[in-house]
Amino acid sequence: MGSFGLGVYGYLGTLKATPKITAHAILPSHTKPKFFLPGTMFIAQGGSIFRLKGGQFTQIASGGWTQPGVTLDHNHLVAVQRTTSESDLYLLDIDGHVIKQLTHNANRNTSFNHWSFFPRVSADGQNVFYSYDPKDPSNLHRVDLAVYAMPLNGTQSRARRWTDPFNLSGGDVHPLPLANGGLLYTKYNFDAQGHSYSQLWLQRAPFTVAVGKALTTPQESCSQAALSPDGKRIAMICSGGQQVGRLEIASFDGATLGPATVLVDGQLCAAPAWSPDGNGLAYLAPVGPAGHFQLFYLPVLPGPTPTPIAAASATARGTATATAGARPLPTPTPAPPTPLQVSADLDFDTTAPPAWF
Amino acid sequence: MAGFVLSGAMGALAYFYPVLTAAATQTGQKPDPLIVSSSTPAPIIASSTAPFTVLLLGSDDDQKCSSCAPLTQSMILVRVDPAAHAVTMLSVPRDLWVPLSTGGYGKMDWAYSRGGASAAIATVERNFHVHVDDYIWVGLLGLIRMIDAAGGVDLVTTRPVLDDYYPNDIFSNNPFGYQRVAVMPGAQHLDGVHALQYVRSRYSDYYGDLGRSARQQQVLLALRAKARYLGPADLPVLIQTLSGEMKTSMSLERLRELLPVANSIKTENIRQIVLVSPYTYGRDIQTSAGMQSALIPNWNLILPMAHQYFP
Repeated sequence: MGSFGLGVYGYLGTLKATPKITAHAILPSHTKPKFFLPGTMFIAQGGSIFRLKGGQFTQIASGGWTQPGVTLDHNHLVAVQRTTSESDLYLLDIDGHVIKQLTHNANRNTSFNHWSFFPRVSADGQNVFYSYDPKDPSNLHRVDLAVYAMPLNGTQSRARRWTDPFNLSGGDVHPLPLANGGLLYTKYNFDAQGHSYSQLWLQRAPFTVAVGKALTTPQESCSQAALSPDGKRIAMICSGGQQVGRLEIASFDGATLGPATVLVDGQLCAAPAWSPDGNGLAYLAPVGPAGHFQLFYLPVLPGPTPTPIAAASATARGTATATAGARPLPTPTPAPPTPLQVSADLDFDTTAPPAWF
Repeated sequence: MAGFVLSGAMGALAYFYPVLTAAATQTGQKPDPLIVSSSTPAPIIASSTAPFTVLLLGSDDDQKCSSCAPLTQSMILVRVDPAAHAVTMLSVPRDLWVPLSTGGYGKMDWAYSRGGASAAIATVERNFHVHVDDYIWVGLLGLIRMIDAAGGVDLVTTRPVLDDYYPNDIFSNNPFGYQRVAVMPGAQHLDGVHALQYVRSRYSDYYGDLGRSARQQQVLLALRAKARYLGPADLPVLIQTLSGEMKTSMSLERLRELLPVANSIKTENIRQIVLVSPYTYGRDIQTSAGMQSALIPNWNLILPMAHQYFP
């Protein structure tokens, strides 16, 4: 009878919330992806950068690192190292060793610190675009990010401002330099009812030279644009002002967006990145009670399907189609493509897309 | 047989005793025997289908001064209609200039500071012509603990929230200190500390306190989404987690009844209201304590709306 009493005690313990919804994520390097993704991907989790290559995660940097981007020659990374009150951009080698600190935002007076986020190397490989908070001497409470560009081999003092954020909106983020020298980015603003929204904006030159234009409507509330390797399609996340993140793609001619196609709807997806061959998209979405964001792959065009790494690893969405192995899909079908859950029990940083080449 | 039942009951009692003690301390209710004896959900009683209104209060609980009481940083009226599976949330602006239940005019957030929850409830009831059935107060540290106990929240942060003058008063020895915060935009998983930064920051928001009111409602909805993973057996653990950081007029049994109600309400049946212009407009008001930056209510617009959604 005593054992039964202890059993009841133990059983009730299993009903607690703690193990179910507060599960701790594991390190990517302590697990394997469920599917083999082509090329090399750099992705951040918990202040560390991981390289996913050949079906293996490898931790290459730790200690406040996030938002990795890759240089054109694929030999270097640009990434953010963040502390509690400032963040800086760094140039790293492909194994995560610091080569150069690009920005110097720390100041003994906390109010004079700055943020730098979302580094992306320009199409000619000469500059790095990023978001930075210029101080407004007329309003010290204003902290809005603007997009800047500085020479990759130069100093921060040569940085040039490209965008002019709306007042007290949070500002301009996710810069995406274009091959034509222009800039695609996400701009935040408020509507008349006080609702915040985001739009994709195109800027052909620094804002003092050229006026930018919106490519999406306030109602769509789109952000996080990713350009396909051929430069002809944009993937983006659109929330429509709701607590969802639709993954959409649209054609792009360097100046305008075509009609959007919704690929994923009804979940909090984020951070899309095109596969090196342009046939698919990686993105992040929460899974399970813990709600940590996992890596997904979504085939967009006919092409090789990612190969499962471990046989029938169970809970992944879309395993039924994925277990067919690497084979080209015959033709595009009206049925929406099925996303493949690539990771489980991890907790990826969604603030910027993975770098994938 | 009777021995097995008794030993099972004793096992359950041993498990729940610490949390029942904590919960009783915080709610002012005696431990509910139904909690002790139940390892499976009890049927929802009839009263839980009647619409009711709860005033959610959030405030700092720091020691900025020895004699002063905290101002509320968040006041949200929540109307729940279990039968219709619908919820309406109305954020009451902290700067709203109103007659206070404790006497005189002042900002809405002064009510709690001067008379506690009862004064806050009375002030809201008299000005908005609504009836408040219950209240729940959660301190800032309590919100952090609650979100962490829920394993964090998933939400789309609607804009970058950057603030150079964010209060550094929770994990610091200096209650007047400031820190820089930067919460990135987009879909993400936030822990308690970062979720609090998202809902508390106001200086770098064009709409100030009204802007953060919308963010507060957003995080509440994200917490509600986590509720679908919770069962009645989780509630004592959560309440224990909030030790000293939560006060409510609701009994444990009432809270337990509401859990399945929260789970049954679809997002499209949740109405969110923030009193931006033309419902309010800003004005500086000269008082004996100096100039106050206040929000003036347009009752001609607010009262019909309040009557419609909080009958």
